[in-house]
Amino acid sequence: MDKAIIVDHLVRNYEVTEKKPGLSGAIEGIISPKKKQVRALRGISFNIQPGELVGFIGPNGAGKTTTLKILSGLLFPTAGFTQVLGFDPWDRKPEFLKQISLVMGQKNQLWWDLPAIETLELNRAIYEIPKREYEESLEELSTLLNVKKLLNIQVRRLSLGQRMRLELIAALIHRPKVLFLDEPTIGLDLIAQQKMRDFIYEYNKRYQASILLTSHNMNDLIDLARRVIVIDEGRILFDGALEELVSRFAKEKIIKVSLTHEDDIKRIEQIGKVKKIAFPEVVLSVPREAVAVAAAELLQNFPVADLTIEEIPIEDVIRKVFRGEMSRKKH
Amino acid sequence: MQIFLVFFLWSSVFSDPTRVVFGYNKEKILTYVFGILILKAIVLSARTVDVAGEISRGDLTNFLLKPVSYFKYWFSRDISSKALNLGFAAIETLILFIILKPPFFIQTDPSALLAFATSLVIAVVLFFALLFLVNIVAFWMPENGWAAQFLFVVIITEFLSGGVFPLDIFPAAFQKVLYFLPFPYLLFFPLQVYLGKIAGTQAWGGIMISAFWALVLLLCLNLVWNKGIRRYAAEGR
Repeated sequence: MDKAIIVDHLVRNYEVTEKKPGLSGAIEGIISPKKKQVRALRGISFNIQPGELVGFIGPNGAGKTTTLKILSGLLFPTAGFTQVLGFDPWDRKPEFLKQISLVMGQKNQLWWDLPAIETLELNRAIYEIPKREYEESLEELSTLLNVKKLLNIQVRRLSLGQRMRLELIAALIHRPKVLFLDEPTIGLDLIAQQKMRDFIYEYNKRYQASILLTSHNMNDLIDLARRVIVIDEGRILFDGALEELVSRFAKEKIIKVSLTHEDDIKRIEQIGKVKKIAFPEVVLSVPREAVAVAAAELLQNFPVADLTIEEIPIEDVIRKVFRGEMSRKKH
Repeated sequence: MQIFLVFFLWSSVFSDPTRVVFGYNKEKILTYVFGILILKAIVLSARTVDVAGEISRGDLTNFLLKPVSYFKYWFSRDISSKALNLGFAAIETLILFIILKPPFFIQTDPSALLAFATSLVIAVVLFFALLFLVNIVAFWMPENGWAAQFLFVVIITEFLSGGVFPLDIFPAAFQKVLYFLPFPYLLFFPLQVYLGKIAGTQAWGGIMISAFWALVLLLCLNLVWNKGIRRYAAEGR
């Protein structure tokens, strides 16, 4: 098996019924329900290699979680082909389920009234993990995540960050080869986020696990994902290296100039969009194709001490992705 | 409380010990009342009522992600809950027994006991399938609308299975129809077999019908489940 995940022209529609407010709306809804098709995925295709860590980004409602749910066998695809580790996820074969895990930031499997160790023991039985392997995994994971002291405490007594780390152990105790992470750092404080990221990085390396990760946290993506897939309105807009994302989507470049003495700002504004002026520094944003001309003009007509041309920071590009500005430009 | 009411009601109806109504004398009707108490604890106590909630809340997701059979999971939860309930019902019955000192009929015929045990096992499976089926309506109506519906079904079930009063009080024609439905096989039929009022070929005939129903309902359950699971959107809060 050469590919861990294959997705080909995957389509998923949801049927939703609309209801007008109030009692009359409710009655109307019973008599003539207004059904609407929501097209969550409109034919997406991508592959993921074993051991690859891929970031899946896009604004809310883009179809990220839907894709993860289909790949883990929870949702029935409307059309298209999916294969994970050689299995059709929808069959939910035990051999398949034993090798994957889906972690959702806002979904929990730990038994609320019991200590986490009870859920872990239950999972050991469910996944049929040999006792020794289980002890090893538990030791390793709880050391990595620093939760050894929390294992025997009732889950309801724990903080969100502590709970999330234990959730992660419960999801990984069977050492899945394919891991779907949906917003793994949601609601965590900065230190906990960093711990989570370090852990994901470590897990990916140690077990050569394929990881598909969605996040609205820029640091998650910059730290972890070499490759990103940008999705919006059920379509893939970009699939490639994180750095390429910038050259692909940033329509502008940044020119930073240091001036020897103050000059007329009006004249500079004709060259490009002025983003910041803090004399002697001026920061301009210029269309990509016009950057050489603009630089030449600056050097000729202004008292320039220093000039640099830079790409837009990756954070800004990702921020644009989250705001859904990528696809709107295309319309 | 209810048991006292029922007990005294039937006690006064049968104040004359030789009186026989609908084929029941005092001893047998009181055995019926106590028997129903125990049988309800075994057959009608089920954890499966939580399935609808798990579907509508999206907790089902946790089970679908694991190599575990959701039906077997609930069936084993059912069995453990029944064991617990049976324990309590036994204590309850014992106390009532000591307080009320009712005459009690003890079946000693091994063939009747075998038929009773068989019918009881089928009753447990029947109720499991029935309740599960009602609960997975939540795939189509997840907005807790199932609660009222579920209550309705349980009440109907209890009524038609003889949980409230013996079914032979009904007109004969109605009884005949009823025996082709799964309901009497939940409580009334197993108890009648225990009491020896239904025996031999008649008992095994009934067991065949109930086994048939259990099979049909399990097949339905499988079918409806497979349809429902396709609608499941795995939403979560």
